[in-house]
Amino acid sequence: MNFVSAFGRLSLGQVRGIATTPAKFIQTTPCLFAEPLKRKKRIDPSIVKARDDRKKKKIEKQIRKLEKNSRQMKPIDECEAPIHLFDKDPQYVRPAVKLSEEVLEGRILLEKSWAKYRRDQHLRDLQMLDRIAFSQQHALDELRKESEELYQEAIQVDFTLLPFNAVGPVNTPKIDDYEAPDGDYVDVSRQW
Amino acid sequence: MLRLTLNCINSTNRGCCTAATGKWDLITAVCLERRPIIGPEMSDMEKQFSKQLSEIELERSHKSKHEVEHEKDLKQLELIKRGDVDVEVNLKQTAQDFADTSLEELNKFKFASKQSDDTNVKSLNRKLDRHLVLLTQQKVGNDTFFLPPQGFRQDGETLRQTAERVLKESVGKDVQAQIYGNAPTGFYKYKYPKSVREVDGNSVGAKVFIYFARYANGSPSVSHKWLDREELRKELPEKYSQSLDEFLIDEQ
Repeated sequence: MNFVSAFGRLSLGQVRGIATTPAKFIQTTPCLFAEPLKRKKRIDPSIVKARDDRKKKKIEKQIRKLEKNSRQMKPIDECEAPIHLFDKDPQYVRPAVKLSEEVLEGRILLEKSWAKYRRDQHLRDLQMLDRIAFSQQHALDELRKESEELYQEAIQVDFTLLPFNAVGPVNTPKIDDYEAPDGDYVDVSRQW
Repeated sequence: MLRLTLNCINSTNRGCCTAATGKWDLITAVCLERRPIIGPEMSDMEKQFSKQLSEIELERSHKSKHEVEHEKDLKQLELIKRGDVDVEVNLKQTAQDFADTSLEELNKFKFASKQSDDTNVKSLNRKLDRHLVLLTQQKVGNDTFFLPPQGFRQDGETLRQTAERVLKESVGKDVQAQIYGNAPTGFYKYKYPKSVREVDGNSVGAKVFIYFARYANGSPSVSHKWLDREELRKELPEKYSQSLDEFLIDEQ
């Protein structure tokens, strides 16, 4: 206790707070640097109305434009026949070729033999498919003789086959280590 | 009632059959086939008909822009020759020039050859327009044969699982392939030699269920051969080759 009182003599007596409490009668007030408010300008109500109208009209015009375009699809150039075809432009018409009787006859004969050729091919295909289906059925029958359980497993649908994709065959084989040359890129798409 | 009796007869029949023929080993084989890389050459008939079709198409068509341009160029040339028009006009690229440069570019490009001179039966670069079937070297009894990969079914496996295991074990993990369906597509049966058969408890023979698989990529790590249909017929035992022929698609 002696100790504290010895130091107490050094200080200003009581422990002093630094809070701006009313106890010390210090008061802070906000600054008031504002200037008095200006008087509002009065505009003619007709001018205001005209201005609003103009804005409205502008937006309406844009909306109309958009609606008009919404009915009109963007043309796809690749899918549309060139206009000169509709115009029957004589420049583009190929002169009709007069074919001799023999050529026409020959064409018809070739078409007939082609039909026969394709029919034979089709029949062979059907036979082949039959043969393959029969082969599988034979295998399944033999399996059933051995074990009904394995047979039941074998006739389940194979879901790993889907999605199915296949590549080729192509006309010429790929070239190993082929580097495609750089071409020029010209963007010809139109703005809409 | 009738059906019931029939069922009874059927079941007894089956029972007696198995008793008479004895036990069979179940073997699963995988017929791994590579699709042709390029399409086959057109036959004469196909060539003729496609020629006729393109002729007819040309007759019925309109002229192309290029053709019209070319005709205009020719007319212009005519005028220049007669001296009606200044020569300076003719500086732009004509349609003919365009065709020439395009043709030159096409001629410069070398397509890969359709004919492969690779004669190595292990290689997939041969016979590009043919289906090739994989055979691997296997020991059956005391002899070695080239056969489609095959193996015995183990307990608890379905045949399809056996097929997948057999393919992995006998070809290596490198090879990617898709087995088509859970059902075997082909069947082949053979009896063991008498000396083996007569030992008690041994099976009479083996039933081989052949699964069809499509090759995707990778190369087999074992001794193997890729063979087309004709070579297959020469290489395999006759009966086996017949049962393969049953489900492999024909080639012209």
